[in-house]
Amino acid sequence: MRKLPRSLRFYVAASTLYAAVVFFAVQFIYTFQLTQSGLLVAQRDSGDVLSSIQTVSFIVWLGISLIAAAVMHRLATALAGARSAEGEARIAEEQKEQELGSIFGLSAAIAGPLDLDQIGAYFVAAIRGALPADTSLALIVYDDVLEAFRTVAADGPRTAALREKNYSAADLPAVVRTRVIDHRQSLLLADDDAHADMWKKVVAELPALATAKSFAALPLVSRERLVGALLLIGEGSGDLIADKVQLPMIMGQYVAGSIHSALSVKEAEARAEREALVNRIAQRARASLDPEEILRGTVEELAKVLDVSRALVCTGATEDDLSVTYEWDSTGVAPVGLGAKHVPIARLAARLGRTVVVTDVRKDRRFTDPRAPQDLIEEDLIAAAATPIRVGGQLAGALSFSQVDRSREWTADDVRLIEAVAQELRVAITGAEAFGRQRAAVVELERLNRAKSDFVSIVSHEFRTPLTGIQGFSEMMASEDLTPDEMREYAGDINKDAHRLNRMITEMLDLDKMESGRMQLNRERLDLNAIVSDAVDRVRPNAPHHPVALRLDPLVGEMNGDRDKLTQVMANLLSNAVKYSPNGGEIVVSTRAEGGAAHVAVRDHGMGIPEAALETIFERYGRVESHATRHIQGTGLGLPIVRQIVHLHGGTVWAESNVGKGSVFHVTLPRAAAGTAVAEAAS
Amino acid sequence: MIRKLVQTALRSTSHEVHIAEDGRRCLALIGEVRPDVVFSDVMMPGMDGFDLADAMHATPGLAHIPIVFMTASVQREQIEECFRHGAAGHLAKPFTMSELRARVAQFFKS
Repeated sequence: MRKLPRSLRFYVAASTLYAAVVFFAVQFIYTFQLTQSGLLVAQRDSGDVLSSIQTVSFIVWLGISLIAAAVMHRLATALAGARSAEGEARIAEEQKEQELGSIFGLSAAIAGPLDLDQIGAYFVAAIRGALPADTSLALIVYDDVLEAFRTVAADGPRTAALREKNYSAADLPAVVRTRVIDHRQSLLLADDDAHADMWKKVVAELPALATAKSFAALPLVSRERLVGALLLIGEGSGDLIADKVQLPMIMGQYVAGSIHSALSVKEAEARAEREALVNRIAQRARASLDPEEILRGTVEELAKVLDVSRALVCTGATEDDLSVTYEWDSTGVAPVGLGAKHVPIARLAARLGRTVVVTDVRKDRRFTDPRAPQDLIEEDLIAAAATPIRVGGQLAGALSFSQVDRSREWTADDVRLIEAVAQELRVAITGAEAFGRQRAAVVELERLNRAKSDFVSIVSHEFRTPLTGIQGFSEMMASEDLTPDEMREYAGDINKDAHRLNRMITEMLDLDKMESGRMQLNRERLDLNAIVSDAVDRVRPNAPHHPVALRLDPLVGEMNGDRDKLTQVMANLLSNAVKYSPNGGEIVVSTRAEGGAAHVAVRDHGMGIPEAALETIFERYGRVESHATRHIQGTGLGLPIVRQIVHLHGGTVWAESNVGKGSVFHVTLPRAAAGTAVAEAAS
Repeated sequence: MIRKLVQTALRSTSHEVHIAEDGRRCLALIGEVRPDVVFSDVMMPGMDGFDLADAMHATPGLAHIPIVFMTASVQREQIEECFRHGAAGHLAKPFTMSELRARVAQFFKS
């Protein structure tokens, strides 16, 4: 019995019980009815027959019951077997359903959300089951502004090495670059004998592959655009053969469309957000005319939004000219300083004509290369982004942001924002130029105005002194008893003062005429040496304390010029030499023939001229005003007249000086070509 | 010219007039003759009028001598500068002879 199946035991027991019950029931009915009918008289005779009948029927019943039990058992077993086969079929179906479900689920899942991370998570979960359990996988999405792949999702034993990693094109193995990125083909690679060399190379370029046995990189392409790639890393060399990556490949193409949409939506959203910010910045920028204020309003705002350490606006027409014209630093960041040149990232952006981002300057080959320029102005720089600013197709400057406290992965949004604000800055920079010109014009006007009022006071002083003489002497002649000799003397004094006044007025008018181009030269052949020596002869009696040495070069010879005007030039230079060396000292006048030009130099040993004034002294009213020159009388017109006359002759005039030691005034006049030069200058 | 004019204008008065051609010589002359009043131009070669005034005020026996500046400027700043340098008065060019005489007489009232 022990070996019998449990169900058979049950049927045997049941049928035996059934047989026994039926037997006793029949026995009872049989016995009772015989007794009733009185047939049971001769009990002894009929007893044997009856009991044998009873025994036989019992055995028959028992046999029937056993057969029934066996049949029942067979039936039950068959039924149970049928039931279990059905279960197995259902399990297989369920699995298929699950796979289908994962595809449908994936499609449903990725149809809904447009968040890349979510899409990545669904995708990884969906293909997970189709790959060996120890396979690591990473979904990387291409960001065309960053020019880098960003890891969106990762799974498997190597997750830690894959997650949150960005791959610039340079970071990926060369074979991935050419095969997957450029040609958009799948790459399947295993560490087997046939590919040992290539495997070694790839592992060297992609450290996450260390100790792995196979690798696959599948491009994700949607509508002609490479949106990303799926990286698979297998621990067995046969883990990633073509058959096994088929499902991931199919699903990958499926997901590519979603990634594309997600990227598009993200781009659109970011664009809208950016536009809002740019609009806000632009509004602020246009609310002001002051470029300084515009830069403050835009660059500073953007710097704060980007959370950078420093923002620089450089201006310049070439990459070498770029110099810092506006700087914003967050608190605690040392400024670079206005006017600083060679801001490296800005230079690179200007040279390439596009935005340049640097995640970590210490690890960037463009800056760590020993051949790269080492003059990094921002020594504390770690990460930076810069974009060129172009006005009318010409480089006008660059906008640069830097991070000194940490390395930074610049996002596509950061870059687009920087570019958008750079666009806005064009307005500010062009405005700044116009504003600068205007400001310079105002400063110049103010300077002229001041010079004019200075001139009025100088002239009034100069005029009043001879007027005092004229007024005083004439008053005395009118009111006092004077001898005829005294009368004559005073009349002579009055005459001298009147002449002086006249000379001053003539000088002013002459200069006006020359400056407005209305002065005509009376050209004739003349001997420059003779004019110089005449002028020296005339100054000598008025300068008893100044020995005047004359060194004439006979080769200077004749030239074409205006005798009176050149005499005036010499007289003015000589009288200045005397006036501005109040303590005496030798004055040396020399002439020299230099090619086609005659060079006249007047050297004194006077107080000298500060370097800053060497140019301005030739400007109208540009006299150096100081305590030392206060007492020196002059209209401030002598040197401007000299310059005008020399220019009319086609020559040049300049001064050299050593403060406290003396000055040299140089005049060059063309000798042969004087005629044409004069004609040009006069026209 | 102004020197000659002043000398001539004051000739008819009873005052003794001494003339110096620049600040340095004037200072020497002042030390020598101890005048009652000094009339000086501001603009002079070498030591100018303001330097002269400062030098006089720094010299013990000369500090009390009043100095009047003759200036061609009517600009307020320069007139103010005259007084900053301790001027006792200011005479603007062109001035009349009677104005000059009246200004001189002012220092001899008592």
